[in-house]
Amino acid sequence: MANEWEWELQADKKWFQYGLVELWRCRGLLQSFVKKELTAGYQQTIMGVFWLVIQPLLTTLFYFLVFSKIVKVSTNGAPPLLFYMSGALLWGYFSDCFTSTMYSFVHNAHIFNKVYFPRLIVPLSMVITHSVRTGIQFILFLIIYVNYWIFDDAVHPSQYIWLVPVMLFFTALLGLGMGMIVAVFMAKYRDLEQLMNFMLRLFMFVTPVVYPASIVPEKYKVLFWCNPLTPVIETFRLGFLHGGTVDSIYIFTGMASSLLVFFIGLTLFKFREIKVMDTI
Amino acid sequence: MSKPILHIDQISKQYQLGVMGSGALKKDLQAWWNKQVLHKKEAPDPEAYDESNRDYIWALRNLDFKINEGDSFGIVGNNGSGKSTLLKIISRISLPTSGTIHGRGRIASLLEVGTGFHPELSGRENVLLNGQILGMQKKEVLDKFDEIVDFSGIERFIDTPVKRYSSGMYVRLAFSVAAHLQTDILIIDEVLAVGDVDFQRKCLKKIKSLSTQAGKTVIFVSHNMQALRNLCNKAIWLEKGKLIAEGAADTVINKYLSREKVETLSQYYPNPESAPGNEWIRIKQVAINPQFNKQIAYIDTRTPLDFEFSFWYLGEYPENTQVLIGFYQLTGECIFELCSEVLKVEKGLVDGRCRIPGTFLNNGYYYVTMHFLNREQDTMYEFTASVAFDVVDYRNAKRPFGKWEGAVRPDFPVELSQVSFEAP
Repeated sequence: MANEWEWELQADKKWFQYGLVELWRCRGLLQSFVKKELTAGYQQTIMGVFWLVIQPLLTTLFYFLVFSKIVKVSTNGAPPLLFYMSGALLWGYFSDCFTSTMYSFVHNAHIFNKVYFPRLIVPLSMVITHSVRTGIQFILFLIIYVNYWIFDDAVHPSQYIWLVPVMLFFTALLGLGMGMIVAVFMAKYRDLEQLMNFMLRLFMFVTPVVYPASIVPEKYKVLFWCNPLTPVIETFRLGFLHGGTVDSIYIFTGMASSLLVFFIGLTLFKFREIKVMDTI
Repeated sequence: MSKPILHIDQISKQYQLGVMGSGALKKDLQAWWNKQVLHKKEAPDPEAYDESNRDYIWALRNLDFKINEGDSFGIVGNNGSGKSTLLKIISRISLPTSGTIHGRGRIASLLEVGTGFHPELSGRENVLLNGQILGMQKKEVLDKFDEIVDFSGIERFIDTPVKRYSSGMYVRLAFSVAAHLQTDILIIDEVLAVGDVDFQRKCLKKIKSLSTQAGKTVIFVSHNMQALRNLCNKAIWLEKGKLIAEGAADTVINKYLSREKVETLSQYYPNPESAPGNEWIRIKQVAINPQFNKQIAYIDTRTPLDFEFSFWYLGEYPENTQVLIGFYQLTGECIFELCSEVLKVEKGLVDGRCRIPGTFLNNGYYYVTMHFLNREQDTMYEFTASVAFDVVDYRNAKRPFGKWEGAVRPDFPVELSQVSFEAP
């Protein structure tokens, strides 16, 4: 009797299977994960959700004091507060996406060892959670920005502002892609945790977070702009604060490399998502 | 005849052993190079596996069997026999090293209660989250929500964060979610041993109704043979990753229970020189002889046990001797002690016996120690490791579920009769 089996589990997994249908079916779970991440983090805290706003404000203030008042780094004529806040916002978004997704397997091993659901739910829920948080911080940025715009007339938006949502999207894509690659290897090699946290700190200094790209010497310029985050932050600042230019070629290379990293990450993650649990 | 819903087709699973260290990366790179670039196949052969190998272990070896729709299917075996590995592979948590699993329908696995419960979230939120983690759609959970809460019996606390729950409440809620899963195949790993006795009974009933009434396929792993006997119609027995027996649950469980019990049931020493003992006493023989009736070949709570022993008395002078026999539980607790008559023994061989009636001992593991006393009631010799035996649970229709409490389980009749038909 021929049996009409509905599914099959095999020893060898094939590359480039993303299980998107299955993922779509689990969108409710994704939603619940995001809700859990958003609400559980602020239970039993006095400030609650205000921590979301306090963190970038304090960071901005700190950058402002150190880099504007003490070290006296140029901000390309933009109001320092907005300049540092935009840097902190985007860098924070990237590093949050990256560091939270790279722990996908390590931090969820107890669940992954007991129950099956598409593992992609975890990194995706992390990125969505951080997108919501960044969204709230972005609103704060806009409030301050509009104040400057109306009362100070020091800033005004340029046409590049339409690229800002795209830039934010590719920031998340890069963070997610890198996070998924590291997650797969970190399951076995826990050294990566140390290495990545260390590298991330260094990486911030080659990204124009606390200084403008324009102060980079000419001979390092190409190398500097190869960092996919450089065009992101510069375009963001250009859109809101004016001053400086962004070569459109770097916008495209930045987007292309983010996309490439994301697909490598996704493919690797899907290929190893089950097998990895034997080595954790 | 019902159709197979799951076909385990030549499944093997290999685990790498060894410590993580600086050599691990080199080894991994080598393996990757061989496989991806040179296309060398390191043909894994589970049959030719040498158990002394320290690099890897075969947790499952060429398993092949089918599970039919509507079966409740038990898996028995000692610790490390591969039961949990098999469940993990079926529930897609782990990939097999070779082989295929064919199946139909949705699978949900319950390898632990409360997987993914978040302590900061309320009971309500956790039910929703946990239900979805276990594979239900949000709508399905919401439809069943009242039923789940009702089953758990903790309506009052449903909006309290679960970190404030007692462990009993936590388990109740977690199990209730699992018991209401809407899937075709449900996998359950030793989770029945949770909660209080009443709740356990409720869970068992619920699970039994899943397979008998709702026609679902249920796969169990448990060390509680009585529960398996009650719940399952089919079973397999795994040992070191291999299939030892397959078939009707009762037959497989009986085979499993009657394994390797011989050595502990008796000891025999042909001459006093090599026998345990001292200058007064040497043990010749101790034995538990179960008086089996019918075809069962293991000791259950109904089996009468004959304890027989013989020893050499080697003292120069005749001695008024008494023998004390103590029956102990695994926990070291003495269940009861028996004391022989005083006998004046002379140099030579002495015989003794006693009978422990059936329907007396509760199920569990027991060991017997012997004390040989002289006329002053001083111990001449203490023989601690004489015999040990396992009494298996047997339930009649009287009490099908739950742990039967107590050190002993006599079957004194309790009579009930209705004396009136009017409410007070």
